[in-house]
Amino acid sequence: MLVVTVVPQDVQVRARAGESVVDALRRHGWRSPYRCRRGGCGACRARLLSGRIRYPLPVAESVLTPAEQAAGQCLPCRAVPVTDVVLDIGPHPLRAVLASTPSPDPRPQEGL
Amino acid sequence: MAVIRLGYVHVRVTDLAQARQHYQETLGMDAVHEEDGRVYLKSWDEDDHHSVVLEEGGVGLVKFGYKVTADGALDAIESKARSFGATCERMSKGDNVGVGDGLRVTLPSEHVLELYSDVDYLGTRVGKLNPDPWPRDLRGIGVPRINHALITTEDPALLERFFSDVLAFRPSERLVASHEDSDLVGSWMSCGDQPHDIAFVKGANGKLHHFAYEIDDWSALLRAGDVMSMDDVPIDFGPARHGITRGGTIYFFDPSGNRNEVFSGGYRTGPDFRPITWTMDQAARGINYTHREIDQEFLQVVT
Repeated sequence: MLVVTVVPQDVQVRARAGESVVDALRRHGWRSPYRCRRGGCGACRARLLSGRIRYPLPVAESVLTPAEQAAGQCLPCRAVPVTDVVLDIGPHPLRAVLASTPSPDPRPQEGL
Repeated sequence: MAVIRLGYVHVRVTDLAQARQHYQETLGMDAVHEEDGRVYLKSWDEDDHHSVVLEEGGVGLVKFGYKVTADGALDAIESKARSFGATCERMSKGDNVGVGDGLRVTLPSEHVLELYSDVDYLGTRVGKLNPDPWPRDLRGIGVPRINHALITTEDPALLERFFSDVLAFRPSERLVASHEDSDLVGSWMSCGDQPHDIAFVKGANGKLHHFAYEIDDWSALLRAGDVMSMDDVPIDFGPARHGITRGGTIYFFDPSGNRNEVFSGGYRTGPDFRPITWTMDQAARGINYTHREIDQEFLQVVT
């Protein structure tokens, strides 16, 4: 698993494969600044200080322009780490939350 | 002449397949047409061709349409819009699939508003002869119809005057920073007997805050919340009651980050309705009467 570090709060969590930065933080009980959690509003905008990310789903250029991306800005709600990453998410404190991600399919699997 | 209701909302979505999943399976709309990276959808209790258009590429509002009566209303509105100084042009049958000739107006807030009376009639899913109260095969929330949109504008007072003078809307509720007209922060305006058919608050021009679906009541609202949890739809806030309009609400986001609302209740209004005033110190109660607190971002986050 990849290590996600956010500063200036200096919080480290591990991200599952394909998991966004925001979802990894939520799963570990941290509520970072975000609003739509779908890449549309830009409320989570952050700066990628090191490492690489990818966007499995397209992000609107009106929200994050190619120039902004090139300058290191990213949207943590949609950004999935490819390597260990360090992000500056701004001075807003992280809020401790108990967040539930979608539950796995509760139906019994055949053969179990 | 009269504007009847919000007819359609045309929004951009970053991923059409994900958007379809949300609008068809979670909300329960039906796709009626698809071409050129656009999907046209209708809710089960709507008669006209479509009420939502999803267009792949980007996020936010392309335009929205209001249906008007077929008694020369378009000509009258065009003349008033031109006197107001707004840019308008005639739109042709087929510019929008299923929609006939009409009028396209650029609002003082830079939003594109289309007005039309001629639109293909598809009918509701329950029909008009001895109908059942709802169709048996609804999916997800099963929204019956769209209800209103809330947009942002740099100059709420100017936009209120436009909707009043050109389109004969009436303000039901007004959010004010002072008694000065220029200090109008938001206005909720009606063209029929709903508390609002359009609303706008101060913010960037050309942006969409949300568009809303009407649902039956508080129970339907809570059930809608259940479906949103099942489908991991991000909730902005709710279920809660609005002070403004007295409606019940859940605000949530589509897979591109466009804000949607399910809205229930609200009072009846009419031509003799005297506008309600909210002051800024009570704005949180006006927007979320239940919790009396909203994040600053609630009003700033738009697409």
